[in-house]
Amino acid sequence: MNRRMRSVIREGLLHVTRHPLRSSLTAFTSAIAIAVTVNVISLSFGMQEDIAGDVDLFGRHTLDVGVPPALAPGVKRPSLGEAQVERTRRLLTGLDPIVVPRRQRAAPIRVDGIDEPYRLQVVAAAPAYLRTLSIPVAHGRWLRADDAPGSPELEGTCCLDEASAVRLWPQRDPAEAVGARLEMRIDGVARTMRVVGVLSDPLRYRELFETFDEGRGARTLTSSLLSFRNIYVPAATFGPGDYTGISIVLPTDEAVLEAQERLIAVWADARDLAALSRGSLIVFVRKQWMEALGTSTMQGSMVGNLVWILVVLVAAVMISTLNLITVRERYDEVALRRCEGAQRRDIALQITVEGVTTALIGGIVGLPIGYVGAHVLREIVQFPFRFELRYAAVATGVAILLGLISSVIPARHAATLQPARVLGRRLR
Amino acid sequence: MTADANKAHPHDPFLVEGCADGAEALAVLDGVARTYRSGAVEVEALKPLDLCVRRGDFLAVMGPSGSGKSTLLHVLGCLDRPTAGRYLLDGHDVARLSDRELAAVRNAVIGFVFQRFHLLADESARRNVELPLLYAGVARGERRQRASEALDSVGLSARMTHRPNQRSGGEQQRVALARALVKRPRLLLADEPTGNLDSKAGERVLQLIEDQSRAGTTVLMITHDPEVAARAEQTLLMRDGGLSRA
Ligand SMILES: Nc1ncnc2c1ncn2[C@@H]1O[C@H](COP(=O)(O)OP(=O)(O)O)[C@@H](O)[C@H]1O
Ligand SMILES: [Mg+2]
Repeated sequence: MNRRMRSVIREGLLHVTRHPLRSSLTAFTSAIAIAVTVNVISLSFGMQEDIAGDVDLFGRHTLDVGVPPALAPGVKRPSLGEAQVERTRRLLTGLDPIVVPRRQRAAPIRVDGIDEPYRLQVVAAAPAYLRTLSIPVAHGRWLRADDAPGSPELEGTCCLDEASAVRLWPQRDPAEAVGARLEMRIDGVARTMRVVGVLSDPLRYRELFETFDEGRGARTLTSSLLSFRNIYVPAATFGPGDYTGISIVLPTDEAVLEAQERLIAVWADARDLAALSRGSLIVFVRKQWMEALGTSTMQGSMVGNLVWILVVLVAAVMISTLNLITVRERYDEVALRRCEGAQRRDIALQITVEGVTTALIGGIVGLPIGYVGAHVLREIVQFPFRFELRYAAVATGVAILLGLISSVIPARHAATLQPARVLGRRLR
Repeated sequence: MTADANKAHPHDPFLVEGCADGAEALAVLDGVARTYRSGAVEVEALKPLDLCVRRGDFLAVMGPSGSGKSTLLHVLGCLDRPTAGRYLLDGHDVARLSDRELAAVRNAVIGFVFQRFHLLADESARRNVELPLLYAGVARGERRQRASEALDSVGLSARMTHRPNQRSGGEQQRVALARALVKRPRLLLADEPTGNLDSKAGERVLQLIEDQSRAGTTVLMITHDPEVAARAEQTLLMRDGGLSRA
């Protein structure tokens, strides 16, 4: 950059300081746009990243073998018993898997003081089932091998998802569920279970998640399992018979892919819709399902991004207009500068510097406004919000871009001014 | 000095006098015309005309309003391009110069003074005078030095930091003159420099312009006032876009 350019830039900066009212108007417009940008970015990107983090808890390295939810008429329901569990173990030899068969059923649950029972998913599995998830136990403890299965004669032991505890005892803290008793009817037989532990809820944005989950139409056993509103009971609580599914944990991403390949060579891939009606068992990789969820929230944040982009565009048009009016008032000045040796590009540079500076000042003012705004929004509508320095950097970039965009037309206008016409009182 | 472009135009031997050898010529207009078109209407602001401005000349241009005086000054000042003919400034064909080069010429060679001063209202006298040097890429220290010298030369050193709107018209025009002189121009173009001034202030400005002429600067000054014109060495008359000797 040569001295002349530096001088022109200085002229632009000086102009901004010499016209505080006009500069503040422009800056204010920019501030609003940047505030919205920060707000939306914090909300949508924040949420998306949170969800990406959440889904890790569902079992990034877990896959499930299960019975398809919908079968065509006349197709025989595939059996999922000890033989299939054994076969699964054999197929995965060498991959170091943890294989946990589970039985799962929706059952009416009744607790003290509630007349209408709730239907919740009851999952009966070995204690190793917790290893298919990465969810910590929030209160109490997880099931143990020596825990009593529920039976009509004997009180059993169970664990709850936090959401189940909230649903059963809406007035109470989930921690207080530990030690409480509930009654469930399974296969027409009532049993009493004592709660020994509560799992923490991996779904930070439960409502959003459930909307997505229901939006997928077919509510499968797996997806209801992954809604984390379940009750977990010892494996022996349910009588013998077919399993609902087999959950398998593998040590690495590569092992998951390898396992998936080996399993779908025998059974069907859950994403293969035609296979679902063929009466085969299906293989379901949780990570792939999570990726579908991620895509969906990505679409959500695209909508959010569209909002701030639109707001920035509107601001760009407004600032453009403001700058253009300003330039129109400055014909004499521009003409004089041209007389004194300014080139077209010197004029364009000065106008651009003025535009970018005011937009940037506005942006810097808008940042904290947007930050506070997003906080307030969260308080009011319980919406997820997250703010990081990166978002501030993005917003600052947007402010600079806003300044550039809204300077293009005014700068061109000023630069193409014909000084002779202005001096002859024939504007332009 | 026959331009093919304008064979139909008979040269006025008088106005090109002294330019035969070209040695003394600073600005030579050869059949230069400027027409404006607005829609279907065409205005011949300058009819094809010849003019030779020699180094050191002090010319006055008189004429009624709308006769094309300002247009002539804008063409001479490289602010406007002729629509026909040839303009040689210091031997260079102005038509061949790019916009950028024209800006550089205005910056280095030509000083402007206007009837309405055209000062930057928000800037001090010093910053106004520095303006051409800024576009010449002159370093700040030298800029300041030269600006205060120029202000000195028009008798204005004392109130250098005052804004133009805190000054009388005469002082403002002297700031404008300092801004033109700070470039050390070879050609000083003044468009009714005393038009907005009372006679006392006008006299002061005129004296300064005369001083400049005496110091060797070539001056072309537009005026309505015959008394003012009388201060020049030669007066030209402009009428309906044509130029003649008074
Ligand atoms: N940019 C322009 N567009 C159209 N007509 C113009 C333009 N500039 C000057 N003219 C016309 O050219 C003629 C000469 O104008 P000008 O040079 O300003 O006269 P003067 O300075 O002698 O008053 C006038 O008729 C004016 O209307
Ligand atoms: Mg005029």
